[in-house]
Amino acid sequence: MTATDSPGSARDLVTGRSWRATGGYLAGRCVEYGVVLALALVINFVLPRALPGGPLQTLGGGGESVGLLSPEDQKRVLAEYGLDRSTSEQFLTYLSNLARLDLGNSFADGQPVVDVISRALPWTLLLVGSSILLGFGIGVLLGAFGALRRQRGKGNILLGTALLFDSMPAFWLGMLLIAFFGVFLGVLPTFGVGDGFDDPAALPRHLLLPVLTLTLTGLGQFFLYTRYSMLSVLSSDHIEHGRARGIPRRRLTIRHALRPALLPVHTLLMIEIGFLVGGAVVVETVFAYPGLGRVTFEAIRAKDFPLMQGTFLVLTVTVVAMNAVADATYALIDPRVRTGTAP
Amino acid sequence: MTATEVVLAAPAEAPARRRLRDLLGVAGAVGVTIVGGMVLVAAIGPPLVGNDGLSPVAEPWAEPRAGLWLGGDDVGKDLFAQLVIGTRASLAVGIAVGLITTVVAAVVGAAAAVGPRWLEATLMRLSDVMLTLPELPLLIVAAAFLGRGIDIRIAILASLAWAGAARVVRAGVLSAWSSPHLEVAKAMGAPARHLLIRHASYVVAPLLIPIFVRGAMRAVIADASLSFLGLGDPTTPSWGTILYWASASGAFLTDAWSRWPLPAGLAITVTVVALALIGVAVEDRINPAMRRVR
Repeated sequence: MTATDSPGSARDLVTGRSWRATGGYLAGRCVEYGVVLALALVINFVLPRALPGGPLQTLGGGGESVGLLSPEDQKRVLAEYGLDRSTSEQFLTYLSNLARLDLGNSFADGQPVVDVISRALPWTLLLVGSSILLGFGIGVLLGAFGALRRQRGKGNILLGTALLFDSMPAFWLGMLLIAFFGVFLGVLPTFGVGDGFDDPAALPRHLLLPVLTLTLTGLGQFFLYTRYSMLSVLSSDHIEHGRARGIPRRRLTIRHALRPALLPVHTLLMIEIGFLVGGAVVVETVFAYPGLGRVTFEAIRAKDFPLMQGTFLVLTVTVVAMNAVADATYALIDPRVRTGTAP
Repeated sequence: MTATEVVLAAPAEAPARRRLRDLLGVAGAVGVTIVGGMVLVAAIGPPLVGNDGLSPVAEPWAEPRAGLWLGGDDVGKDLFAQLVIGTRASLAVGIAVGLITTVVAAVVGAAAAVGPRWLEATLMRLSDVMLTLPELPLLIVAAAFLGRGIDIRIAILASLAWAGAARVVRAGVLSAWSSPHLEVAKAMGAPARHLLIRHASYVVAPLLIPIFVRGAMRAVIADASLSFLGLGDPTTPSWGTILYWASASGAFLTDAWSRWPLPAGLAITVTVVALALIGVAVEDRINPAMRRVR
């Protein structure tokens, strides 16, 4: 039912506009996501061909040793991988391979890149997903608390601690946690995930340190933004007015201050997803955690270019998908999106 | 440190330290002092340590002693020398990326705010796209394919960092654009260029300091992460490569953790915290709303 069908009902008017506004917003974001994915595809296609050594090294299957091949052999390898054809033809081949989920084979052990990645992806999603939820939840709560306690001891200690964790390289914090809990106290495993999903009871012990590392380094941004945003809202007129009207303090803080203060934090969430996925890459390396970050690290070490490209592509898709989820929840906290009055 | 010197341009007669604290509060003053100290170490430190940190000068896993303050790594290279020399690379990357980000953000943000509608739409959609790309994975493929020199890494880091900052500048110019005295100037026929340079720039300029600081912070950490993953510049020591070798040799599982991974990570953390303190101090200072809530 659209607004023009029932001009008499204000409620329908609002609902009708809401669907169109939400739809338009989501459509705009979808176009953006499409552009991001297209960009990632183009980067993946162009980079190996832009390398000084030429695509032979990066795509021709043998890493740096192809430099030792005779000119005839080099020609043969180029033809075998279709690298002697025109750029547009190569691009079409690349896209059609991609559509069949063929990302090439890993140089290191000849396995299909898709297989290596599909084994690692669930682990990264588990790590990043739980860290985002924890970091967002704890960061927002502490941030609101820090804003209310501004200029007092507790608030300043919180601010200092948040700044500290926000400033640490995630992989370094991971090393320190391993040195303390894994070696000094000896109470937690220092690497890997044991038997993985086959032994779910042991899993939390293995996950604890990586998740803790990523949560601690990620929640600083959420804390700082919530605090900053909350302070701006607290000084606005509607809070002053609400206080004068005698709205209970708790209700005023949560409904009237925290909810509007969360809007910019939600925008940050989308940026932070990309950041946390990047953090996961280095944290996984420290903990020898079997996710995409670890795969990336091994690929860098072995100069395994197809695998590197594959993980980059999959990480980009992951970030875009998580952004889409975050987008879909936007209407939950911003009523203006639902009523079509969003700026 | 051009950005912090701008902050310091205050009345001449007060003693420098008092002036700094009055202007930025204790936190900001601490930040400026630490960053200043780091710049000093980067400038005069490397010649003083006596070796380049790249070749072995002692036995493997050497214990600390006079002249070898943090001992040696797993092949006997001087860890203290690596730490001091690494200051240069980290600060250079941070400052260069911060400056480029600030300039690009100022130009793009201003263009998006006062330019034609199609330009605004293009630039803002582009920045949305840049913000969605995952930073570190993109850095990894770029560094892996394009090389590991410091100039290439600065270019890659800066090309990813401008997007969020440009949006901040655009918002600042837009809010300046609607202020009464600019309305008056517009009504009197002032050209956009004049409005931007003579009027809006005074509102936007303070925003650039947090932008510089945040760009530098992210660059220092991202650069260390790249080096940690084995994509560092092999020709010069850096804090990230120290941590890479500490991890590769398992030093953080041994007693060497306190003289090998700890100082390098602390150096990164302290530098970034100092930058963050400057940023927070300036932000609190320039947002009038912050001063109202006390």
